[in-house]
Amino acid sequence: MNKYFSTRMSIFVFAAPALLLFSVFCVYPLLPQLWMSLHDHDGFRNLGFVGLDNYREVLADSSFWTAHKNTYLIVGISVFLGLPLSMILALIMDSQTPNLRRFFKSAAMFPAILSVTVVAQIWVAFYEPNWGLFNGILRSIGLDSWTRSWLTDHRTVMPSLGLTFLWQYIGLNAMLLYTGIKTIPKQYYEAALLDGASFAQVSLRVTIPLLRYVINYVVILSVLGSMAFYSHVRVMTSGGPGDLSRTVVYQMYYTAFETSQFGKGTAIAVLFVLECLVISFIIQRFAAREKLEF
Amino acid sequence: MNKAIKVLGYSALSAALLVASACSKKEETSESPSPANTATQEVAKEDVKPASDKKVKLRVITITTDENRNKIMENYIKPGVAEAFPNYEIEFEPGGGGEDMANKLKTYNASDDMPDVFWNDAGYFTPLKNTGSIMDLTSAITADGFIGKYAVPDALKHIDGKIYSLSSGADTYFTPVIFYHKDMFEQAGVQVPTTFDELIAAAKTLKSKGMVPAVTPGKDGWGPKLFMLQQMIQIGDPQAMMDLVANKTDFDNPAVKAGVARIEQMAKEGVFPDGVANLDYGPANEMFTSKKAAMYWMFTWELPNLAKDDSVDFFPFPSASDKYDSSKFVQFWGSPLNGYAVSAKTKHPEEAVKLAEFLAMADAKFFESTGAPIALKTGNSTSEPGPLMKKFVDWYNPIPTKIASLALNSLDARTSAELATQGARLLTGQYSADDFAKEMNKLWKENTWFNQ
Repeated sequence: MNKYFSTRMSIFVFAAPALLLFSVFCVYPLLPQLWMSLHDHDGFRNLGFVGLDNYREVLADSSFWTAHKNTYLIVGISVFLGLPLSMILALIMDSQTPNLRRFFKSAAMFPAILSVTVVAQIWVAFYEPNWGLFNGILRSIGLDSWTRSWLTDHRTVMPSLGLTFLWQYIGLNAMLLYTGIKTIPKQYYEAALLDGASFAQVSLRVTIPLLRYVINYVVILSVLGSMAFYSHVRVMTSGGPGDLSRTVVYQMYYTAFETSQFGKGTAIAVLFVLECLVISFIIQRFAAREKLEF
Repeated sequence: MNKAIKVLGYSALSAALLVASACSKKEETSESPSPANTATQEVAKEDVKPASDKKVKLRVITITTDENRNKIMENYIKPGVAEAFPNYEIEFEPGGGGEDMANKLKTYNASDDMPDVFWNDAGYFTPLKNTGSIMDLTSAITADGFIGKYAVPDALKHIDGKIYSLSSGADTYFTPVIFYHKDMFEQAGVQVPTTFDELIAAAKTLKSKGMVPAVTPGKDGWGPKLFMLQQMIQIGDPQAMMDLVANKTDFDNPAVKAGVARIEQMAKEGVFPDGVANLDYGPANEMFTSKKAAMYWMFTWELPNLAKDDSVDFFPFPSASDKYDSSKFVQFWGSPLNGYAVSAKTKHPEEAVKLAEFLAMADAKFFESTGAPIALKTGNSTSEPGPLMKKFVDWYNPIPTKIASLALNSLDARTSAELATQGARLLTGQYSADDFAKEMNKLWKENTWFNQ
């Protein structure tokens, strides 16, 4: 039996269904995109082969780089602000009584299960400059000068979108981390407590190091999820004002569907796929290489 | 090894079959007429009846941009369609409008699955025509006499002399105006402005009284693209605006730049509410109807709805120079390309044309019921328009120079999208008129609309 399962043939047979589906639905669709990116295409018809012109024009377009800046800002917010906050929430959740923990779990998951459109509309109302929640609070505490049009001011539009994104998914990440915490054997904590370690010390020296695999997974999820940031932008600002809140995925959509330059749009898509592959490889290569065994 | 090759072979075959079945076109039960054939096909004068008892299936994508469109569907299309076409099975699909509609049609066209009847728009007409996806209706509507129901049949013709769309003709009576609440003006002690400077002064007064002076949809650059830029240029120099629409000038023209600067000035002076660049159509309308805003910059297609409130009146955009007189120049919305069109690839061309005619007539009946002037004769006796509609018609009809809309008659898809982008940015007050003009001029030079 062991011999049968260890042959290359059997490995291939078991992997074949997944491989087949992956090839058909993930790899195959990329090929027409690659072809289209080398052509001038308006969405209705192919206007001819243009070689690498679409790539050259995309790379020379300032909106493409604005979109990159915005995308990586969201990635930064998600990883460097969202992840620590999720970790803190997970640690707090772990230290609560069962009833409180149940409440925290539900509260954490609630935004993540809501539709993006619902969340985005709620936050549009929060940010509304004339009667919205945020400006209302600022006015009520005498900070009128701090009020602003959050979603049309070039300084605040991206952080505002980032905050919405963070709010929706911070709980989900916290739940993933909490689940990881639960897999750590209790003996480590008992030993640390016997040595007189504080909550912070236990968290920093025991929990976080032993959560390396889960953190790695959450980082990849956060980075790739943030790079695909689109729906909130579509609902909340439509990439505006101007191109100020466009992310790379939005820029791709805008170029292809709104300006009817499908060749250029697919060129952005191809470049972005490569970018995501490189980033994913870097994370995999440098994070959590050592196998942990409890 | 042989086994591995066999497994690989079967896998490759399965993948190929899966891809082929997923990507193949629907099997046609009958030969589809070619665009060339359908375009020139004579439509029989007798009633269209299917050869068998089997119902004719037709797909329609309707425009669903605003409340008027919902009313047309609920009150005119749905109640009448079953009676008018007892042997048809008609599937209606809401298409939205603008870019949403364009994207839907692009997708259907690319997958060779165009609806039989759809709402055509100048913005996506050219590629539809170039791919042979839109039928020339001239012969069909001439043969069945529908063309005779139009007051001015020539107004339906595209520049190539062919008719591609059927509309109620109400579009040509749509123009942007400034709606206002008379009671809010009175309360603030503000008179109807007749010059641009008076408009700014009135806005400042209204704002000082705690009111939002004016509102318009700014999200996606809706207002700036469709009328604001045109109005602001036109009120300073109508000839410059006509030249821009006809591609005889560009954004370097001082009169054009001055128009752009007026939008920047209004954004900075607080004529519009904070966040207007992200304000959608519905919320903008609600701000006005709930009297949070004193003025509403909008096309007259909203006039029938707004006229229900007795406090609402309107005035034309005030002048910014001696060259402009609101009784001599006005922007009109219409385009012969906007209306119900028929796919050249439909399997049922006669039935689809009849349905397009029915839908155009439904539009006409609705707009007629609002007292709006229309070009398509419904056969109904016209009712007396309300006082606001009468005021509008009395002002609009005698105006000798009606300037076509830049948004419908001069922009390819890219320039149109970029004008919207730049326009929304201009509304933030954080983007200069010079930067706008510089960016638009670059795009204007690459605008392919006039190369057609």
